Order: sequence, then C-alpha cells, then structure tokens
Amino acid sequence: MHASLSFDQAPPISVPYRFFLVAPWFGATAGILLVWAGADALGSRWTPEALALTHLIALGFMLQAMCGALFQFIPVAVGGNVWRPRLVANTVQPLLLLATLLLVAGLLFGRPVLLSAAVPLFLLAIGGFVTVVALALWQTPATGMTLWAMRMAIAGLAITVLLGSLLAEALAHGFAVPIVDLTNVHLGWGLGGWALMLLAGVSYHVVPMFQLTRPYPSWFTRSFGLLLLGFLLAWSSRLLLDDALWSPLIAYPLLLILSAYAGTTLWLQYTRRRKIHDATSLYFRVAMLSMLAFAVSGTVYFLRPELGADPRFVVWLGVLALVGVFVSAITGMMYKIVPFLNWLHLQRLGAPISAVPNMKKMIPADAMTGQLRLHVLAVLMLLTAVWQPGLIRPAGLALAASFVWLGCNLAGAVRRYQGFRDQIRAAA
Amino acid sequence: MTTTVIDGRELQPPEPMERTLEALDTLAEGDDVLLLLYCQPHPLFSILKKNGYAWGEEVRADGTREIRIHKLPG
Repeated sequence: MHASLSFDQAPPISVPYRFFLVAPWFGATAGILLVWAGADALGSRWTPEALALTHLIALGFMLQAMCGALFQFIPVAVGGNVWRPRLVANTVQPLLLLATLLLVAGLLFGRPVLLSAAVPLFLLAIGGFVTVVALALWQTPATGMTLWAMRMAIAGLAITVLLGSLLAEALAHGFAVPIVDLTNVHLGWGLGGWALMLLAGVSYHVVPMFQLTRPYPSWFTRSFGLLLLGFLLAWSSRLLLDDALWSPLIAYPLLLILSAYAGTTLWLQYTRRRKIHDATSLYFRVAMLSMLAFAVSGTVYFLRPELGADPRFVVWLGVLALVGVFVSAITGMMYKIVPFLNWLHLQRLGAPISAVPNMKKMIPADAMTGQLRLHVLAVLMLLTAVWQPGLIRPAGLALAASFVWLGCNLAGAVRRYQGFRDQIRAAA
Repeated sequence: MTTTVIDGRELQPPEPMERTLEALDTLAEGDDVLLLLYCQPHPLFSILKKNGYAWGEEVRADGTREIRIHKLPG
C-alpha cells in the first residue's frame, strides 16, 4: 500500500549511522586501554589512564552516539529541520573524532601540544553542531517538555565544551585556574546539563513509545529539567563561593532529582500493562538501577567524609555514571533507533508495507541480549576492580569485548539495510 | 460517517504507523481514522501533510493523544 504516499524529508540514513558506527570502537579502545594499563589505572580520577578512559567513553562513545541520534531525533520527535544535515555531519563527525583522539593521547601521555591541538577542533566541531541544532530546536513549531529538555541540553553541551577547553589549555600552558573546582563544574555540566538532560528529554518521548509505558507524569516533566538546571547553576557557584558546606547542600537535592527520574522510569516500566523484556527495556533498567546506585553512593560520599577521602570512591562513582548509566541507556536507545531507521528509510523507497521487513529482523534479538549480558558483566567487573585492582585487566577485556559485540551488531544492521534496500529496488 | 479506531498505545513502533497507513488506503470520503497514542507521531504527520490529509489532536487526562485524521477535499 501507499506506494503513492511521499515520506518526510528526514536526513539521509548515512547521517546518524556515521556517528553510530564509530562510537562503539572508542568504547572498545577504552577497554583495551585498561588491559594495557593494568592495576594502577583506576587508583584515582586523576591518573592519566583514568582521564583518558573517561574521555574515550564520554566523547568517543557518548558524544558521537548522542550527536548522531540528535540529527535523526530532531525531525522525528520534535518536527525540526537541521540545516544541511549531510554537510554538517560530514564535517562535525571527523573533526570530533580527531579532536577526541588528540585529547585522549594528550591526557594519556602528558603532551601539552596535543591538548592544545584538540581545543580548536572541539570548538569548531561542537560550535558548528550546537549552532545548527539550536536553530532547528528554536524554529520548530512543536511544543512540549522533550523540546525544552533538548534546548537546555544543547546549552549544557556548549558550556561543557567551553569549560573543557579552558581546562585543556590550563593543563597545556600551566594557567593558574582552580583545576579541581573547574573540573567538578565541567563534569557537572557534561554529565548533568548535557547527558542527563538529553537522556531525560528523549525518555519522555521514547520510553512510552518503545517500552509501551504510560507517559511520564506532567508534573515531573515540567519540573525535572528546570530543577536540574537550577541546581547545576548553583553547583557552578562553587567557583565563586569557598564554603565547605555549599557542595553537600547542592549535591543532596541534585542526587534526589536523579533518583526521582530513575525511580519514575522504573515505576513506569513496572506498571505497564503489556510487559516486554527486550534488550532496550532491560538496558534502561540497568541504567536506572545504576543511577539509583550512583545517588546512594553519592549520598554516602558526602555523609561519610572518611570514606569519600579514598580517591577510589570517586572512580566508583565515575564507573557507575559513565558505564552503568549512560553507556547502558545509549546502547538501549541505539538498539531501537537503528532498526526503526532501517524500517523508516526502507519505507521511503516507496515499497508496499508487506515488502519491508519487520523491525525485529534488523538486529537478531539473541545478539542484543547476549551483548547486554556481557555489558552487565563488564560493569560489575569494573565496579569490583575499583577496589580489587588485580581485576582491572579482565574487566577491561570484558568492556572491550562488549563494545566490539555492539559494534558488530550495529554494522550487521547496516548490512541488512543495504541488503533489503537492494532487494526492494530490484523488485521495483 | 465511519471512524476506524487504531489503539497504538500498546503497540511497538512502527506498527501504529503501518496500521494507520493501511487504514488511510481504504478511507472513504467523509470517513476518518482515530489513532490513540502516548506520543506525537511526527513522521506520520509529515506523511499526512504531504499527501493531502488533515488531522486534529486532543490530549486526554491520562496522557493519551487522540489523533483524528481525514482526507482533505479535492
């Protein structure tokens, strides 16, 4: 049917896929780095290996995947049009890739020249990306809290990259800046203002749609983003206020609103009428349980300063946030987005619905759940390895293997798309 | 006038869109399709706009969106 219907002008499928196909290999590199570095890698958040690992995951995996998803999500979820998406993606993605490699190498090997070289590339790539995405998000006639969360998230990305650039230049040239406070503000905006804000905004749309839950309560969606933004601004004031009581006063409510988001998502999953236990639902459950574990651990960190004094405690928090929460949630999203995009773009070829394969045929369910199990094992091994450094190499191996499996699953989906596309064209 | 109701709230994408497009294929003049969802289907809106359909949208207290689609005259 509907061979006569014309489909929307969403970006070419190559736009999100060029980001998605690269992202898992940065994660695999992070695992290999742990295997190479061995026992001392996670002794504190400031080791060169920990800094490199953090940015391989945050920039290499998370940012690549999130940028790719936004190119597609903006037209599909909020009806916005990104200006010349192919040109922007073809420019931003390689710049981002190169900048990430330079930054990670600069942090790992302590080479100021590499840090300085990465900064203009980041500013160019993210500056361009933020500009076109912000224009699309402000010009769309759509309304709703997903749109507002995305607008706040894109501002959060800009702030994160500006602070990160300042930190990189300070490290490269020895500028006198409060490195620790600035780093804490940088990671607050990166993980909270950008990653969590975007995850929450996207969740309002995709959790009911793909996981068949009821919608998030409107009181929650109306207040979550604004509260998060307000507390992040307050968190940033630590750069100006030198008061030991200030951090816990801001951190407790921040941890509470994280818990509210995680708890609400789990509650929506638990109370849905039609239970589905596909890889996306399970991945989201892992992400939300990790977020609750992060909130509990964060509370302990501030309540029991003697425990927080151990530098490994912050590494534990970092593993929970980066690998437990964001890698899980993003992988779960990709396992829905990629099959859906395959289906949508095959439909756009004008074939009858019966000729377009079911979404479930795009990535085998066993491959997704198998990869999910390996990821969960990697998270648990990494968390243990923080306290038992002898386990770091096997944990790194598990992490690398889970990302390689993810990369193969996504590449397989793209090959299937190409195969189905060729079949439909041949039949036409 | 006949209304074809498609409850997509417990269907995984792209099934609601597939069923809606199939229903529109056989939609008679003056009839409409009522689609129930928990989200705004922007890809579907884009297809409707380009193919001469109009739609109205109402949100119920439980968050359900009632999307009523009909063919534009001519």
